[in-house]
Amino acid sequence: MSEKFDAVIVGGGPAGLSAAYFLAKKGLEAVVVERGAETGSKNVFGGRIYSYVLDKHIPGWRKEAPIERWVRKEKLSLSCGDSTLTLDFDIHRGYSDEEYDSFTAFLSKFVAWLAEKAEEEGALVLAGSRVDDVLFKEGIASGVIAGGEELEADYVVIAEGVNTLLSEKLGIRKEPSLNTTALGVKEVIRLGRDEINKRFNLEDWEGVAHFFMGGPLQGIAGGGFLYTMGEYVTLGAVVRLSEIRKKNIMMKDIAELIRLHPAVYEYVKGGVLMEYSAHLTREGGLLDVMDKPYGPGYVVVGDAAGYLLNTGFTVRGVDMAIESGRLAAEAIAKASEEGRRDEEALSLYKKLVDESVIGHNLREFKDLPKLLEKDILYTALPNVACDVFKAAYTTEETVQRLYPTMMHSLKRNNLGLLTLLKLFLEARRSI
Amino acid sequence: MSEEKLSVEKRLTHTKFEIYEKPHIIVDTTKCETCTDKPCIKACPAGLYTLDENGKLVFVYEGCLECGTCRLICPYEAVSWSYPPGGYGVWFKFG
Repeated sequence: MSEKFDAVIVGGGPAGLSAAYFLAKKGLEAVVVERGAETGSKNVFGGRIYSYVLDKHIPGWRKEAPIERWVRKEKLSLSCGDSTLTLDFDIHRGYSDEEYDSFTAFLSKFVAWLAEKAEEEGALVLAGSRVDDVLFKEGIASGVIAGGEELEADYVVIAEGVNTLLSEKLGIRKEPSLNTTALGVKEVIRLGRDEINKRFNLEDWEGVAHFFMGGPLQGIAGGGFLYTMGEYVTLGAVVRLSEIRKKNIMMKDIAELIRLHPAVYEYVKGGVLMEYSAHLTREGGLLDVMDKPYGPGYVVVGDAAGYLLNTGFTVRGVDMAIESGRLAAEAIAKASEEGRRDEEALSLYKKLVDESVIGHNLREFKDLPKLLEKDILYTALPNVACDVFKAAYTTEETVQRLYPTMMHSLKRNNLGLLTLLKLFLEARRSI
Repeated sequence: MSEEKLSVEKRLTHTKFEIYEKPHIIVDTTKCETCTDKPCIKACPAGLYTLDENGKLVFVYEGCLECGTCRLICPYEAVSWSYPPGGYGVWFKFG
């Protein structure tokens, strides 16, 4: 290929395609190089996207995007053994999807749609081609090498995702640590729309996002999840690599243990498995973010730069990826106007990220990853909660008072009041 | 899907693959001989790391979901990890 592009983007996921879309919109020639045979074919996530970034920047998307359901019900469950305590928050904002701000989706399909949008704006998407290296000329990133061929461009956008092979090779990022990386596994199960509506008590467009602690993951820092799609349910689990390293847990079985747990099984029984998948995700929040996501001729966006936030009750990934792609396009367009490719010109990207919702979110929750590491959250606390509720709702001839039950349970789980106070103080700082 | 636990081998038949003729991950199993806990076995979500009857580590790449876990979790850097060439490997329809 002899043509030179304004920008080449490594990886056609949410961040890379967003960069391509916004670059093309600004009249720059952008090409995305994606290793999957089709765009989207290597992407996996839990199941939910926050819509503010799309509402703001991609007109008409609500009518076009492959939205499965709008999340109206948020559930959080604590299980101990087979018993489960569930908080069920029905976010009632009205009876139309227009009022809601996050939706469930399949990432492969969503990304394929985003690729179409980028192409509509004039970007080129080359699927089925793996980038093996970034081309440097006079110390400035000037293209990529893919499938043995050179593809030249004035700017390189690295959107390689959570496995930062290229960035590590370039020496701009360290290998992710076990503490800040988690493995997610997922099953897609077909149930049919009517059956889902009935089982979850939903209208056609309404959806559920459900998180689980304990149960099959008793004592493990990690969580289960379940999302309703149009015709499907997706479920799975996310566990930190440091936990897998330390504890006795077989990741190949964990999705099935979630599916068969009584709190989940009643919802998915009789369904048909459509796909089993796995993907890594970041859990370090700000700890995992690149100090310098730019350099001469290049910027790093999305997961590759560490822009993901897991608060334990929500996961913000795709929205921040799209936003970082958009900001990269801003910075590149400005630099291009000035005819500059130097590091200082592209440092605008980091400035924009820091000032954006990405910087804000990551700073606000910077202490949370440490809190979520605490074993007590996954062992003692679910046990105590279940003991108290069991006492409240188990009917025997003699009644049990709840306060002594709780104190007894705290003691049995080695939870002193001082430990609880310390946890509370820490939570106050980080949540 | 029934009340029985489905093995990972069974579940992987529902995932689409375009398998390349050569493995994209090479494991230097001589390094595994001194590794006592072999975290790859419990970490791999596709169950591709197993022990043979002599207790030797065996890895097969067919069925790899390309998550990257083994690369990070191996304590002895025995795993040389790359993605399959463009167009090959796992092909997620849903994701």
